[in-house]
Amino acid sequence: MILRLNLWVLWLLLFCSSSTLANYIFGYTPNAASNGLSWGMNQTYLGTHGIGGMDISGVIYTYNPIKNLADDFVVTVENDRVGGGFVFQDTEDWSQKHPIRIKKVIPLAYTPIAVFGDGRIRTSGTGTIEDASVQYIYRFDACFDPQSDPNCPNYVKPPPPKLPDIPDYDALQDESVKIAQQETDKDLLKDDEKSEEEEEEEEKEEEMEWLLASTENAIAMANGIAQASILKSMNIATNITNYYIAIIPDSIYNETVVLQGGEVVDNRRALRSLSQDARMNEMIEEQYK
Amino acid sequence: MKKLLITLSLILGATPILAENIDVSGTVQSRCTVNVDTPGIYGNPNAYTLTTAPASAGQVPIVRFDVTLANAYFAQISYPTAFTSSPSLPDTVAWTGAVTVVQTSSSDMSGYHAASTTSGSMRQYALTIAGTTWFDATSIATYGGGQNKAFPGGSYKAVVLAQCIAQ
Repeated sequence: MILRLNLWVLWLLLFCSSSTLANYIFGYTPNAASNGLSWGMNQTYLGTHGIGGMDISGVIYTYNPIKNLADDFVVTVENDRVGGGFVFQDTEDWSQKHPIRIKKVIPLAYTPIAVFGDGRIRTSGTGTIEDASVQYIYRFDACFDPQSDPNCPNYVKPPPPKLPDIPDYDALQDESVKIAQQETDKDLLKDDEKSEEEEEEEEKEEEMEWLLASTENAIAMANGIAQASILKSMNIATNITNYYIAIIPDSIYNETVVLQGGEVVDNRRALRSLSQDARMNEMIEEQYK
Repeated sequence: MKKLLITLSLILGATPILAENIDVSGTVQSRCTVNVDTPGIYGNPNAYTLTTAPASAGQVPIVRFDVTLANAYFAQISYPTAFTSSPSLPDTVAWTGAVTVVQTSSSDMSGYHAASTTSGSMRQYALTIAGTTWFDATSIATYGGGQNKAFPGGSYKAVVLAQCIAQ
């Protein structure tokens, strides 16, 4: 009975420890003071983990004070606290002290980054600082926002995106559909047939008109040609008298070419050539048979 | 017989133990720790010189002292005066060096160097403030006893001794 109770307690302890332990990433931020003596607590200055889930457990700062031994010079490194005050504030008084490089660690209890306001290095007195570095020691809970990773505990699958409001569509009320339906109406088809017959008649009438117009044009053209021929004959009548006056001298043109030998002999060479051509043609024709 | 036995037993029981060693144990946790921050490297700017100067491709060794109790310890740091390992050196080596405070964890420690004392190659600092102090020790070795002879080729090692001594 006692053994069973012990096992039950052990199981309960193991369950509780495994369910509460977060998977932390530990590290140091880059130098937050690399671009100046004041900085914000965000990813710009603290790197990729400078968001919710970062808990800061310490600050490491270094700088070189530049001053004369006799001068008063005070340097303060601090971070505002959201809502007022400071998360930490560390002051070094270098007044009448030898300037020497300082490196200091400020331990803090794990403090969420959300508590941190802006950070800065303040100086007062005569002197400056050089080569300043401020780094935060942190742990980062990647599942601080469970929705950041589906593998995180308590991750809730996001609902599907909301569908846009689409108005109800009634095809019977659509004018376009009505028009489309009218085209398939039989009465309309009959009307169309009638209108086609009318169009054909109109076309025939137009053709007839065109033909009539063509004959009229032809007659007009013929009239024009006739008038032109009359004018031409008139012109001929006026000029022909010159030809009547002209005298053509009468003369004989004797044959001047004389056939020597009186007999035309066939050109045998040509005949041979022609026979060879005939043979050649015959050979050519042979190949197509 | 019973009485004898008793007597014997009495005699045995009454045998006196004249001395007894009782262990007393305890642990004293050190309140001063010494750690190497940066190991040293010798550069060789010329044939007869070995130096830790960064300008000569050397590296100055830095040692770190952490004390959690003020006014309880001295830091004693000595620069090298001999090689712990080297090729055979028939001629003499001239050694020079210096120990300085390079960094502290508090401005109150800035007076450490001014208050330190030296004895030969060793410099002693009174660690009057609880915190961390970084010391460096430069070292220069010149071979030839003023004749500037070339170091024989080989590997050379020397040691900077840093100790935390109770006040």
